[in-house]
Amino acid sequence: MADLVRTHQAGVWRYLRFLGCDAGEADDFTQETFLVVLRDGFEQRSKAQTAAYLRTVARNRLLMSRRRRKCRPAEVDLEAAEAVWAEVAGDDGLDGYLAALAECLQSAIAPRARQALELQYRERASRAAIAAELDLAVEGVKTLLRRARDALRQCVERKIGR
Amino acid sequence: MSESNQPPRDELADRLMDQALRETLGGETPPDLSDRILAAVEEKPRPSNQRKERAMNRSRFWMKAGFGAVAACLMVGFTIAMLMPAVESTRDSARRDNMGQAAGEIGAAESQVPRSAGRNPRPDTDESRYPTSHELVETETEVTPAPGDAPARPPSSDAKPPVRPGVPPPLDPQMKVELHDIGTPIAPRGDMLDEAGEGWMEESGVASAPGKGEAMWHDDAEGVGPGRGGDQYNHLVDNPFKAVVDHPLSTFSIDVDTASYANVRRFLLSENRLPPTDAVRVEELINYFDYDYAPPTDETPFASHIEVAECPWRAKHRLVRIGLKGRVIPDDERPASNLVFLLDVSGSMDSPDKLPLLKEGMKMLARRMREQDRVAIVVYAGSEGLVLPSTPGSEREQIIEALDRLQAGGSTNGGAGIELAYRIAQESFLEEGVNRVLLCTDGDFNVGTTSTGDLVRNVEQKATAGVFLSVLGFGRGNLNDSMMEEISNKGNGNYAYIDSKREARKVLIDQLGGTLVTIAKDVKVQVEFNPRQVAGYRLIGYANRLLAPEDFNDDTKDAGEIGAGHTVTALYEIVPAGEEVATPDVDPLKYQPSGGSTAGLPSSAGSPDPSDLPEEEETGDSPSPPQAGEGSVMDELLTVKLRYKQPDEDTSSKLEFPLVDAGQRFGQTDDDFQFAAAVAAFGMLLRDSKYKGDATYDAVLEIAESAAGNDPHGYRAELIEMVRRAKALTQ
Repeated sequence: MADLVRTHQAGVWRYLRFLGCDAGEADDFTQETFLVVLRDGFEQRSKAQTAAYLRTVARNRLLMSRRRRKCRPAEVDLEAAEAVWAEVAGDDGLDGYLAALAECLQSAIAPRARQALELQYRERASRAAIAAELDLAVEGVKTLLRRARDALRQCVERKIGR
Repeated sequence: MSESNQPPRDELADRLMDQALRETLGGETPPDLSDRILAAVEEKPRPSNQRKERAMNRSRFWMKAGFGAVAACLMVGFTIAMLMPAVESTRDSARRDNMGQAAGEIGAAESQVPRSAGRNPRPDTDESRYPTSHELVETETEVTPAPGDAPARPPSSDAKPPVRPGVPPPLDPQMKVELHDIGTPIAPRGDMLDEAGEGWMEESGVASAPGKGEAMWHDDAEGVGPGRGGDQYNHLVDNPFKAVVDHPLSTFSIDVDTASYANVRRFLLSENRLPPTDAVRVEELINYFDYDYAPPTDETPFASHIEVAECPWRAKHRLVRIGLKGRVIPDDERPASNLVFLLDVSGSMDSPDKLPLLKEGMKMLARRMREQDRVAIVVYAGSEGLVLPSTPGSEREQIIEALDRLQAGGSTNGGAGIELAYRIAQESFLEEGVNRVLLCTDGDFNVGTTSTGDLVRNVEQKATAGVFLSVLGFGRGNLNDSMMEEISNKGNGNYAYIDSKREARKVLIDQLGGTLVTIAKDVKVQVEFNPRQVAGYRLIGYANRLLAPEDFNDDTKDAGEIGAGHTVTALYEIVPAGEEVATPDVDPLKYQPSGGSTAGLPSSAGSPDPSDLPEEEETGDSPSPPQAGEGSVMDELLTVKLRYKQPDEDTSSKLEFPLVDAGQRFGQTDDDFQFAAAVAAFGMLLRDSKYKGDATYDAVLEIAESAAGNDPHGYRAELIEMVRRAKALTQ
């Protein structure tokens, strides 16, 4: 039981964040997902099968919650989201993806682009603030960030064989 | 289809990148919810009581319905039984009345019965399942399932797969629409998953409850023969300790296979049970991991790294590690490859962990093919067929489409498939490149050539023509591990077991060079022990790779291959001179001169006193026997000799590396040495080996955790998880 939680909780939590949950929601839905699975005596199968099953339950919890609150289910097409997660993130809860990203940040983008990303994600800087820091136009920052993310995506997907 | 999905796919992939960047740069990390979840599981009143009530009500309903149906059947049967004599009597009288009627009338009456009324149209046999290779190539037709098999298989790769135990139900394509339109909670598959997803486990057989899942997850770890159920493993006996005075040479073939590790992982982590002891090949567990050995810097195909330290499971003994590192070939310098995917699409492959996973793995590999590479696809079931002729690697979409079309069904004529695959490989042979058949199967050959011996002879013969064979094993339940290992050995290839996309990625992407490019073949190791330093030794693992001492210099004797970038590790447990060697007890020899060497026969005396040893020892092809006064030679513990051939040559070369024991303690060794020792101890514990000494799961955990070192892919962390699981299962 503890092994199941320990092995898969990060993957489930990241998946829920990917589907649009905020961090608090992701905590709650992760807990609910495991409760649902554990209280009926889940028998673990392969890691991939278990991960996929947990994602299905998590997705279902999210859908039900959204529906109860009478809001649109999500801005994300969940079917397409699941397909992309399964294809790109794989069954290791994003671990391989993150490891590849750490390498790509060093090799696939220019230092200036890395600096822009660090300002955006680490410092929570606005585009205007990044523009001021890097002496760029705001539109230029947008382009720089988009290109950097594209380059990283290509690099990561190449590294993990997608 | 993929083009129409391109914009949302890109957006979602970008969303995924955003999530990853938040974590990598922004410091957002998934919280550890373990305590919170486990506490909630303990505390929360089981709301499933209501569900159970409902389930019990349903059961009661069905029991009542069942009883009702049985009672009705009994009443109908009773009535029929009562009426039968009267019916028979009426029939007899009618028969007697009609006896005189003309035969023509009878024939006419028969002819009015529709011809199909009493016959079921018999489905075509598997022979019609695949057109001949000629037809397939010319018409580019899909592999068509036999009519009789159709219900057992999804109609196309786009159709919903059949629900399998252990596999989550697929998303309903209408899910989003239904959410907007229907006012009741829905599940991804209403028929399989109840409101919270709980019911799916019960109904799909994930839970251990008996039901339709049993056929898939039957508990038959060890089978009995080709075509019959159960995984099949050859019996393995641990190498015993040998006394150096009797056996100064130890010779074995290298082994870069990793299948046993992945298979053991499947038992422990997926099936939550200990593996059969014969499924545990310790050397394959050790060699699953990459060790940070430096590659060669000269023209030699591999570098060696030999070290000795205290043995962690028996403090008086020493542990010798022989590590080899194959030359690394960057992907852009990889020679052109002529590959034939030989894919088993028989009925036994119709399982989520077989054909779908196989297709995923082959697609991964196809995406790494370059313009100069070529790929052909041969499939076999009841008969063999060429699905894709040899195609340039740049035409990935064509290769991937061919893989997408594959469906499983029919019996398994693996022997015929191998013949066709080798023929296709020969037709597109690359003189300067890699020519390899990649056989992907569960090994359950049940039609045509099913004898392992015949298959091995066939493959061995083909390997001499320059086409090598690698085997990727899939699935469980009828995994023919022993046959697959043997044919990959004889086919100058390697054998890996693929139990997940992650493993497929490791074998086919991360270690692509090692899997495809052989840098040295027939690699043999011979260790000559110095009796002045060593009383006895035991080779850990490689139990089915042992060679006779004379095989070392015999270039006709086959041995293992090493691929680009591969690491190979072998461990010897050494009994130092002066210590007792636990060799099997044999009566003293009656006809040998006393005090003479009895090489080849076990000594009954255990360890000799080093001072009693003759000045010169007969040591096979040792270039210079140790001489008194030659301090450095006399101090050597052993000499490791390696023989190998270049992939396209038939004459071997030899390398020699002496080793002196500097008295290193186990704690002074590097992480790789310690981790390999922990894996070896883990293997011995799983095998319940009598040579495990003081090894315990706790000790293995302690060493493995402290020596996990740089573990970018999490493989070492996974081993630690396996050790924990094995420990729990043992308790």
